[in-house]
Amino acid sequence: MSIAPVQERQADAADVADPAVPWITLVWNDPVNLMSYVTYVFQTYFNYPRAKAEKLMMDVHTLGKAVVAHGTREEMERDAMAMQGYGLWATFEKDS
Amino acid sequence: MARAFRRKGELYAARLDPQELGLVVGLLEQTRELLAPEVAATGDAFTDLIASLGPDFGRSSDAPDVAVARDPALDRLLPDAHRSDPAIAAEFRRLTEHDLRRRKSDTITAAIDALRQVEGDKVRLTKADADSLLVALTDTRLLIGERLGLRDESDVDALDERISAHPEHPLAFAAAVYDFLTWLQDSLAGALMGRRLFDL
Repeated sequence: MSIAPVQERQADAADVADPAVPWITLVWNDPVNLMSYVTYVFQTYFNYPRAKAEKLMMDVHTLGKAVVAHGTREEMERDAMAMQGYGLWATFEKDS
Repeated sequence: MARAFRRKGELYAARLDPQELGLVVGLLEQTRELLAPEVAATGDAFTDLIASLGPDFGRSSDAPDVAVARDPALDRLLPDAHRSDPAIAAEFRRLTEHDLRRRKSDTITAAIDALRQVEGDKVRLTKADADSLLVALTDTRLLIGERLGLRDESDVDALDERISAHPEHPLAFAAAVYDFLTWLQDSLAGALMGRRLFDL
């Protein structure tokens, strides 16, 4: 298994509201990961703009978790694996 | 005396005296030791291919785990990827853990190699090496954080209280090292993001 290049991620960001791909990747708050680092990871891996990356990071920090990606199960497994590769506390599940 | 990372042209520059550098490299090595897959690459294509399938390859996902002593810190570095379905979590772990551990240990190796090139106290990293160090510092801090019992935000306050009550306790030294790595990593993340400090 390998991580898709960043360029391929841009299309996925548009899938966010597509009910046909009802799986999500979550990142959970932990006391170790830095706000700066988490923002950098969201920008770098998902290619999210700074504002969106910071919003998701703040959701993780203040709400305890954030949905960072939507897609097929396979895509969410890949994203969860990538987030764990970065040391973030990531899980994936079927969207409810 | 350490000086935080900042961007310098195409490079990421900091100052770490030899003691500080040795400390960071030593901790990265310890983290790699924990994370490295049990089967190391041999250089032989066929052997490595078989090894890359993982020690659990061929074992069905519902088979009971072999009873081996597993460091609890590994579960923090490689957490369950599904919170409500243990079978999905186990299957994901079976398919990804070997690869993740190899990837993480390779990243730490790249960071160690870059830091070993440093002469004197001037650290100068390329973007690629800076990214490797950034990720390597995360795993190292996760490991130390786990040893310090940092599972949620309240543990951080509890640790601070214990240390102020017993400043001579070995825990205080470990916490100081952790804080140093935190400072270093935050400055590197800030430099990579194009600003010196990240404040919210």
